[in-house]
Amino acid sequence: MSRFFATGSDSESEESSSADEITPKAPGTTLKQSLLLSDDEEDTKRVVRSAKDKRFEELTNLIKTIRNAMKIRDMAKCLEEFEQLCRAFLKSKNIVDKEGVPSFYIRLLADLEDYLNLLWEDKEGKKKMNKNNAKALSTLRQKIRKYNRDYETEITAYKENPQESADEEEEKEAGDSGSSSDSDDDDDDDDDGVSAKAFLKKKPESAPDASKFLKSSKGSGESSSSEDDDEGGWGSDPVGSGSESSDEDQGKSASLAVVFLKKTHESEKSADKKVSKRKKIKKEHLEEEPEEGEGEEVEGGWEKVKGGVCLVKEKPKMFAKGTEINIPVVVKKLNEILQARGKKGTDRAAQIELFNALAAITAENNLGQGILVKIKFNIIASLYDYNPNLAAFMKPDMWKKCLDCINELLDILFEDNNIFIGENIAEDSENLAISEQPFRVRGCILTLVERMDEEFTKIMQNTDPHSQEYVDNLKDEGKVCNIIDRLLDYLETKGSTEEICRVYLRRIMHTYYKFDYKTHRRSLGLPAESKSEQDQDESEGEDSAIIMDRLCKFIYAKDRTDRIRTCAILCHIYHHALHSRWYQARDLMLMSHLQDNIQHADPPVQILYNRTMVQLGICAFRQGMIKDAHNALLDIQSSGRAKELLGQGLLMRNMQERNAEQEKIEKRRQVPFHMHINLELLECVYLVSAMLLEIPYMAAHEFDARRRMISKQFHHQLRVGERQPLLGPPESMREHVVAASKAMKMGDWRTCHSFIINEKMNSKVWDLFPETQRVREMLVRKIQEESLRTYLFTYSSVYDSISMHTLSEMFQLEIPTVHSIISKMIINEELMASLDQPTQTVVMHRTEPTSLQNMALQLAEKLGSLVENNERVFDLKQGVYGGYFNRDQKGSYQQKHGGYQRGGYRNQNQNNY
Amino acid sequence: GSLTKKSSQNKTNQIIKHYQEEGQGSEVVQGVLLGLVVEDRLEITNCFPFPQHTEDDADFDEVQYQMEMMRSLRHVNIDHLHVGWYQSTYYGSFVSRALLDSQFSYQHAIEESVVLIYDPIKTGQGSLSLKAYRLTPKLMEICKEKDFTPEGLKKANIGFEHMFEEVPIVIRNSHLINVLMWELEDKSTVADKHELLNLSSSNHLEKSLQLLMDRVDDMSQDIVKFNTYSRNLSKQQQQKHQYLQRRQQENAQRQSRGEPQLPEEDINKMFKPPQPPPRMDTLLIAGQVNNYCQNVKEFTSQNLGKLFMAEALQGHN
Repeated sequence: MSRFFATGSDSESEESSSADEITPKAPGTTLKQSLLLSDDEEDTKRVVRSAKDKRFEELTNLIKTIRNAMKIRDMAKCLEEFEQLCRAFLKSKNIVDKEGVPSFYIRLLADLEDYLNLLWEDKEGKKKMNKNNAKALSTLRQKIRKYNRDYETEITAYKENPQESADEEEEKEAGDSGSSSDSDDDDDDDDDGVSAKAFLKKKPESAPDASKFLKSSKGSGESSSSEDDDEGGWGSDPVGSGSESSDEDQGKSASLAVVFLKKTHESEKSADKKVSKRKKIKKEHLEEEPEEGEGEEVEGGWEKVKGGVCLVKEKPKMFAKGTEINIPVVVKKLNEILQARGKKGTDRAAQIELFNALAAITAENNLGQGILVKIKFNIIASLYDYNPNLAAFMKPDMWKKCLDCINELLDILFEDNNIFIGENIAEDSENLAISEQPFRVRGCILTLVERMDEEFTKIMQNTDPHSQEYVDNLKDEGKVCNIIDRLLDYLETKGSTEEICRVYLRRIMHTYYKFDYKTHRRSLGLPAESKSEQDQDESEGEDSAIIMDRLCKFIYAKDRTDRIRTCAILCHIYHHALHSRWYQARDLMLMSHLQDNIQHADPPVQILYNRTMVQLGICAFRQGMIKDAHNALLDIQSSGRAKELLGQGLLMRNMQERNAEQEKIEKRRQVPFHMHINLELLECVYLVSAMLLEIPYMAAHEFDARRRMISKQFHHQLRVGERQPLLGPPESMREHVVAASKAMKMGDWRTCHSFIINEKMNSKVWDLFPETQRVREMLVRKIQEESLRTYLFTYSSVYDSISMHTLSEMFQLEIPTVHSIISKMIINEELMASLDQPTQTVVMHRTEPTSLQNMALQLAEKLGSLVENNERVFDLKQGVYGGYFNRDQKGSYQQKHGGYQRGGYRNQNQNNY
Repeated sequence: GSLTKKSSQNKTNQIIKHYQEEGQGSEVVQGVLLGLVVEDRLEITNCFPFPQHTEDDADFDEVQYQMEMMRSLRHVNIDHLHVGWYQSTYYGSFVSRALLDSQFSYQHAIEESVVLIYDPIKTGQGSLSLKAYRLTPKLMEICKEKDFTPEGLKKANIGFEHMFEEVPIVIRNSHLINVLMWELEDKSTVADKHELLNLSSSNHLEKSLQLLMDRVDDMSQDIVKFNTYSRNLSKQQQQKHQYLQRRQQENAQRQSRGEPQLPEEDINKMFKPPQPPPRMDTLLIAGQVNNYCQNVKEFTSQNLGKLFMAEALQGHN
């Protein structure tokens, strides 16, 4: 401020002093004053007033521009503005209904009509007008005629009593000079040079004097309007300290002027202020002005922050001494603090402090639980508000505060059965007073808890997963679960179905990915080796499976939003799969038909779906369902973007394709680290299942031209392996699988086994399974079986017959197993052989087609497709429907060359033997 | 009229020698035929090979070389009329664009020119395979006009059967050569003589099939291309039609309102017809496929005969 004194801009100090009783020393005074004043103001009325002022301000602004346009005869502009005005007026209909049509509005309508009529008569002038204007004039005239019909009475009333129009004129003058800021500035300065100088001289004087001077200055209307100009210019200056003057922009000055117009016929501005000093009602008004202004202006806000800090220091002063603290007072106070919420420059930390203080006072004075609950709600809300950006995460300590707060809130809610809360309780139907009626408080605890949970996720997302901090943060998960459990208990008694579904889903979301070791151990018949009492508590708790079942089934039955049910199903499947309940998981997945429409779901649900699919695949693998495992994992693995699809990290490759905004969104979707699915495990499971499927298949279809790859990914790995110039012992998991595949190709199961299951692979992959040993046994078994099959495919041509004993020894399989495998192969026409029961040997039939025969088959196939293509040309000539061959015939064609396939060929050959 | 072609053993031997010396596997050797036209016969009396180029002598001038050769031959009083060229083949694959182009330029310059195709593999199996071909007059017309669009070929009404005409060959040797042949036959071992009776067939058939398959693939591709083309064409025709109709309606309306008609725009500019795929290649491929099939047919029928013979022999024993 002192800087401005130095430069000689006096107006603001004068202005502020003229408004305040206190001398302008501390910048925080305005707020303090406002707080003091706020004691005796009525809340509800205030709100309405401010809305009204805002609307009226808008209207007056528009009117001003219209009058300007009228002056310069710019009809086009006039029309445009008039249309806007009508719209704005419609918007403010509520207020108008309450307050009646504002006189300034009527004045404008009347004036405008007169003016237009005048123009219309003036043929000469009309001729001079350009086309646009003339057109606008006629339209506007028609419009206003029509429009004014609605306000006929008011207009006639106005016309009878045109006395007010004088003020209006004056007001308009002021407004005009204000709105056309800079250019007019100079003129004004020239005009009022003397008075301005006078101001300067008076500058060091005390404020009341200045205001007196204002009062006394004779040409007050003119001079003060010029002053307003100055002031406006300074007020919009970014450094200008925002006392009253800065708040009262030109526009506002006009509106104020309108409000007080009727009462004062001298210079509106200074007059208001003087009146406000004396009259309480008006004070209230003025006080409210800065509040609003601060919301809109940076400077104003800046000052308010200071005020907040001040307040913290003088906390006890929150209520004036001796004020009787009762519920309405507290509510008013609460609303007052709330007013500042969400505004730019409000110190959020201070706000939280204020709320806390208020809560303490309330508790002290025993005002009852209702009000306390309300305050708590607001504390939590403002804690969430602490971070201005939704994308940024809360600070852990803030979050912990929030956690405590929620806990306390829940405590209260549990203690007192007489409190009803809900989001649909209207503000005015709240019942906070201690009375016979139960408390009714607006607010939704569920939403708060959900938000808390989301913030927790965000914190986890933004913590380095390999730090101690992450572990520390993760420990809070228990608390979160606790709260959710408590909320669940609460809502089960009081909440609606939808709310229960929502809280159930929260509970499920915190359960589904956790492996239930206690149950697992119990199911194995092992005693729970609990080390602490807490462990024991947990182990005595319900099985997570039972909980999941109960919660999910409730949701299936009661939920009406599709999303919650989808999530619940997926979590349920995931949980089943995690605990190796393969059939339940699979059946649920198939019954849900989620595969069909999951692509329409939102990304987080899709991520959940992907996670579930992967977990299902891994589960199938553990159960030895290699094919199912492969199928489940195929989609995720074949894309090469498993990491992204599972929401476990962003791919660098896509960095160029997305902008910062998208990246932020994607980052928000990431799954926290403790919920991750091990990607290496996933890939290994996939590759091993692909190996077990693909290697025998490759061996069986060595010469088949139509052979398709089962797994591209696996082939890719094989090729990478082949490209290696120097083949060392395998290092990575992939290399192990590739090496194992090569061994398997030769039917060498022992080498294959040693590559798949060894110490390195154990530590990398297999030990991550809960039932490691069982999985390994299954794997060995599978390797033996598939190796046997591969061996038979590859080398059957060199055998005339082979004893099953030898095979069983070679592959360490029991004879019945060997027998069953070979029988299956024979039945499936994969192996051209027969079993000789007495000697337990497999007798080979040499029916493999020679390469020439293979080639002929291929040629036949190619010719088939050639003919088909040719037919298509023909079809085109004839038109699709008039085709020579219709579709059925084409189908039969395909069937025919299906007959050329190996089976058919072999059958023919077999007949020959 | 079709000219019978005579050639001397001398020159045949030269061709064979050329292949044996320079050609390997699927590599192709080429050379120039010299001779003269006598009445309705084209007599080929001499030949010389084109030297195999390597990367080093890129500036080697073939035309220059041919001229030099012919001049030298004239000096020793040998027929020096350029009457065609010869080329070796690999399993009967010779119908190609390159052959078509060069044969066209030969025939364009000297009407009687022929191309001699020598199949070393068949010859190796015991029967001399030497064939002379000439482009049919129809094909000459097309090549002259360079119109290989589907319409052009349709108008010319040419199929793969009518692209080349085979000219019958009579080989006439001088007595000295005959004597040499007898001498050689006398000296050759029994095994050499009975090369003809070799029963193994799969290798040859496999190769043929392989080549056949490749061509069939090419053909399929061409057909697919043609298919897309004709689909695009018909789609565009439809659009054009619609556009014209709309335009007509509008004009009619305008006329009724007394307004001037819309200016005629260049319809071809708005609807550029898609580039038709050249059909010549397809035709050539068809010719080649036909050729392979003939070869395979011939080969298998001979082989079957041999097999029956062998069976009969075994039964007799």
